[in-house]
Amino acid sequence: MALAQHNLGTVVAFEFIRTIKKKGFAIATLAIPLLLILVFALVFASNESSKDSADAQKNAQFSFTYNDASGIIKAPGAKVAGGTYTDNPAAAIEAVRNGTSEAFFLYPDDPSKEPVKVYGADKGMFENGKYEAVAKQLLEASAQYDVGSPKLTAALTGTVKFDSETFKDGKPAAGIGGVIPPMLFLVVFYISMILLSNQMLNSTLEEKENRVTEMILTTLNPTTLITGKIISLFAVGLVQILVFLAPVGLAYLFFRDSLALPELSLSSLVFEPGPLLIGALLLLGGFTVFTGVLVAIGAIMPTAKEAGTIFGPLMAMMFIPFYTFSMVISNPGALIVQVFTYFPLTAPVTALLRNAFGTLSPVEAGIVIVELLVVGALIIRLAVHLFRYGSIEYGRKLSIAGTFRRSELAAK
Amino acid sequence: MTLGDAAEPLVHIKDFRMDFGDTTVIRDLSFDVHAGETFGFLGSNGSGKTTTLRALLGIYQPTAGTLHIGGKVFEPRDGARLGYLPEERGLYKKEPVLDVMVYFGRLKGLSKAAARSWSEQYLERVGIPEKAKTRLDKLSGGQQQKVQLGVTIMNNPELLILDEPTKGFDPVNRRLLMDIIEEHKRAGATVIMVTHQMEEVERLCDRVILLKDGVSRAYGTVEEVQEEFGGTVYRVAYDGVLPASDLYEVISASEGRAELAPGQGASEEKVLRELVEAGVSLRSFTPARISLDEIFIKVYGEQHELAEAK
Repeated sequence: MALAQHNLGTVVAFEFIRTIKKKGFAIATLAIPLLLILVFALVFASNESSKDSADAQKNAQFSFTYNDASGIIKAPGAKVAGGTYTDNPAAAIEAVRNGTSEAFFLYPDDPSKEPVKVYGADKGMFENGKYEAVAKQLLEASAQYDVGSPKLTAALTGTVKFDSETFKDGKPAAGIGGVIPPMLFLVVFYISMILLSNQMLNSTLEEKENRVTEMILTTLNPTTLITGKIISLFAVGLVQILVFLAPVGLAYLFFRDSLALPELSLSSLVFEPGPLLIGALLLLGGFTVFTGVLVAIGAIMPTAKEAGTIFGPLMAMMFIPFYTFSMVISNPGALIVQVFTYFPLTAPVTALLRNAFGTLSPVEAGIVIVELLVVGALIIRLAVHLFRYGSIEYGRKLSIAGTFRRSELAAK
Repeated sequence: MTLGDAAEPLVHIKDFRMDFGDTTVIRDLSFDVHAGETFGFLGSNGSGKTTTLRALLGIYQPTAGTLHIGGKVFEPRDGARLGYLPEERGLYKKEPVLDVMVYFGRLKGLSKAAARSWSEQYLERVGIPEKAKTRLDKLSGGQQQKVQLGVTIMNNPELLILDEPTKGFDPVNRRLLMDIIEEHKRAGATVIMVTHQMEEVERLCDRVILLKDGVSRAYGTVEEVQEEFGGTVYRVAYDGVLPASDLYEVISASEGRAELAPGQGASEEKVLRELVEAGVSLRSFTPARISLDEIFIKVYGEQHELAEAK
């Protein structure tokens, strides 16, 4: 037992260190944060530019003519903005066309039914926006003057803020603040599977492709090897997630305003123990099932290339539940949602979604968790069995039935 | 951990049978290997040697029978000092030599420092100390063989199991391998060796077993097996033509040299007299034991030779 533990530690250390030392791993891991930093830099530059541009457009000073059939526009306000009234729209348009006038705004009789026509001398795609901005500002300011009340103006323009509160079982319902924390388990599941699945598949194929299996199988127990690989991959995944999140965290802490990132107030999040515990167990069960399946594929297939043909459809199973996203949330009793909830390869994503949106009952959650953990454990056992008997079938695809015939005969 | 009781056979195989589907590969195979001896495991390709070793080491589940090392079924977690060089061999090719050696050393129960120190000394001994930090796939085939051999003999194994150890080895590494086997033999290790090199078997092995189609065809000391398959032969160098005779059978003859197997009731004197009286001019006449090569050919026959040649 002591040697088995010693060997488990040795396998974990060997697999972890050799993975993170690979150039490909460093490139793949650093590429995403570097890309994020680049995107943030571009967003930062764009935001500065957009802000300057918006301010410039808003405060743009230029001369224009206007015609107002609606009677909303107030002449004094228009004059301050640089406007001159004209009775002859056709001439005003022609003046803009031949460059003798900078802009002309034609306000219709009923702006709620017809558009305000804006004509201007071309100043480039971005600067042209100033004409509409001034025409709109002039209309709003004139209307506000008529209404005579900032409150009514706010109500009419839809700039009023709303703060909803709903109740469930006599207590305030968590709302979106309660969805986000358990939803994070789904995010972690996706990230870990996307980052690690290919490595899981290849980690067992490597022994086979390099003809290391017999040396390994006579040196340590295959269960120890597989367990060690899974633990090391999980550790590798954590390293990757931390590296990926580092620039996001730094950006949020130091450049939130510049990058126009939304304010994340933890006080608005609701951390309910039930959904969080269920989320964690569903994540564990889902990870176990997918890991077992990937290791089993690696044991059956002779090369990474051939394993790839099964790998694609398996990964698709993780995304299929999203096709029924609206039904998962609004109609959890639907047959398709029920099938996805209990089929082991679609269950993790479907159940995690339903758990986050509060449509997974405790009984259903219990059944899915037990199912995932039991199926996952069985698949990992099968994966170890297939590795033991499949990994020495060098260059050949393994007959799963064949491995069991051997075991059955041996058991007699 | 030591491998069992010295009074008992170190390796004990009894009534071993192995089926793959409907095909029986090994049937009722029984033999023992005693501590400290070098044991030759002989047979043509497909005769069941590798299957037997894999079943002995727990890689295959036997269909029936007992396969014990040190009195029990082999389990890697027992930490037995065992070195196995499989027929299908390889290591983690994209890793540095020293990392791979230290990894296997650790798995065999050595401390990290001990595994590192042993590995460095071994690489020094086999003349590639500068390759310690080189990836395995950047080494030549011969250098990779040296590393593979090093991994096999780490932790000073009590039992060395070598499946066609010289397969693919160049002459330099073959010599190195033989030296290492002899060293371990002198140090008291037990060696089981699958090989087609009969001269190596005659030189190194105390006892042998010869397998054909999964069945033992000969088992015992080299001398006992030679005796069983005809014992003595006469090697002659001559001029002229060898006459046919009831006193001997010509096993082989070419370019004035021949090997004669004595017939029923024939003695050295009678055969010699027969040749002289027939007018054969003898340059030498030497009684010798039949070689394992000849026994192998006898067991597998001309058909096997032709098949191998193809």
